[in-house]
Amino acid sequence: MKCTECQMENIEGALFCEECGVKLEAAGEVKDATKDEETEGTLMVLKSLDGSKLEIPAKDEIIIGREDPISDLFPDVDLTGLGGMEKGVSRKHAVIHRAGAAYTVEDMGSTNGTYINKKKIQPHAPQTIKVGDELRFGKLALTLQAA
Amino acid sequence: MKNELNMRCIMGKDTVLATETEQAVYALVAIKSTTGALLGTMPMNIGLVVDRSGSMDGEKMDNVKEAIGYVVDHVSDNDLVSVTIFDDQVETLIPNQAARNREQIKSAIAGVIPRGGTQISDGLKAGLTEVMKGYARDRVNRILLITDGRTWDDEASCLKLADEAGKQGIAITSIGIGDDWNEKLLLQLAERSHGNSHWIQNPIAILDAFQQEVEGMQAVAATNLKVTARMSAGVKPFRVHATVPMIADVSNKALQNNTVVAELGSLDNKKGQALLIEARIPAQKAGTFRLGQVEVNYDVPSQGVKGHSKKADLVLTVSSDAAAATKVNAEVMNLVEKISAFKLQTRALTELEAGNIAGATQRLQSAATVLLNLGEDDLAAVAEKEILLLRKTGALSAAGTKKLEYGTRKLTQAMRQ
Repeated sequence: MKCTECQMENIEGALFCEECGVKLEAAGEVKDATKDEETEGTLMVLKSLDGSKLEIPAKDEIIIGREDPISDLFPDVDLTGLGGMEKGVSRKHAVIHRAGAAYTVEDMGSTNGTYINKKKIQPHAPQTIKVGDELRFGKLALTLQAA
Repeated sequence: MKNELNMRCIMGKDTVLATETEQAVYALVAIKSTTGALLGTMPMNIGLVVDRSGSMDGEKMDNVKEAIGYVVDHVSDNDLVSVTIFDDQVETLIPNQAARNREQIKSAIAGVIPRGGTQISDGLKAGLTEVMKGYARDRVNRILLITDGRTWDDEASCLKLADEAGKQGIAITSIGIGDDWNEKLLLQLAERSHGNSHWIQNPIAILDAFQQEVEGMQAVAATNLKVTARMSAGVKPFRVHATVPMIADVSNKALQNNTVVAELGSLDNKKGQALLIEARIPAQKAGTFRLGQVEVNYDVPSQGVKGHSKKADLVLTVSSDAAAATKVNAEVMNLVEKISAFKLQTRALTELEAGNIAGATQRLQSAATVLLNLGEDDLAAVAEKEILLLRKTGALSAAGTKKLEYGTRKLTQAMRQ
């Protein structure tokens, strides 16, 4: 299996290139950001690296975080199952606001921050997001996609 | 109770493609205490080995004294403590004894005045002798070594002592202050004895490192942890990494033909332990393929448990359906990526030592890219800065090297909440 970056021939099944560390295609991350523009405004999902999808509920304010029954906190999108705790996701980490076809994400003053396409956003300052954007909560990266 | 520990064996891919050539597979062996609750606190036996060379004078020594005070105040009366100080001479300030004479210990420490050079092996040897006096299998036996300088030509003796300590079940936690010490040596002391290592830039953080160590010792759930993976015929394990408390390549010690035997020391109740095994499997037709069997052996001294074991199989589905073979386990993927960053960083330093600046630059650039993908922006920025320096001067900065060495090894540590 040839690395597209450095052309090194890696053994079948390798997830990362031995030579340059680039993720190899067989690692299974499927790119499908082909329908970005026309699907904007429809139902959205957050897709994780392993391909699993978390549906963003059809409501105007969607809380992203970690479930904490003791504090009676049940976010709309619970990231506990994706290793949210280890990756520094706060209980109430961020909110996705939906206004018609437009989406914004707002960091709720989380401990480890929210990032759009690797850029950290200011807390409590909603930023526009679109299909194909990578959203990162702490160290947990998810891609916004049409459902 | 025979279920003190829980072992999960997770394959990088549950389903791999049927091939006519061999292929690489990843197996993660994750071990935790079953309930997440402490199985019982073990008494401690701590040997503090402190560098009192001239360069420790001032803020460094003041903070060390405060940190030792913290240790003494936070252990119980029956825990054992010893304090050994060294420069180019050694003094056993507090012989191994119960920690109940707190004020006496603190006042002995208060009188230490920095002087002389740094000879780590003599200090380490005397410190180990003290810990051995109170050694018992049902105690958490540990050395905390703290230094700010390069040792004088006795690295080999230090490493030999670390090997002996590791065999005895005495972990060495090495703590380096500032930038002028040999990070390779301190990291190896920790790795060889199944201990930990801390890099402290600002002396104020000394207390924090000691605090982490005391909490870690109080959280020991099991000891003599050993993972054995017996592989089926044709399966060739080729690389093994331990990940707690730091990422460490344990391949040299652990690989024995087609069996993996990894001695992992003690198990932290909160952090657990995870071992990543990389192996080549022979050409496979569609069906179920049993890679091998993993066994974990351990003691839980607080419950009088000795030599318990658990077993689990490593199993793969081999399929000719390419789509089924694309799904990767996120937990394994994430760990492999972290180890990849660690490996690239290590290789960059090896290339640099061999005088290959172009090669080192390239590896470091690759490491920076992987770190960015992992969301480790700060560490990636350190790598970028060092790349510029490397291009300009042909060398890395002492602080930058330490940041990368420690930062990539500790990528597996959970973030604070």
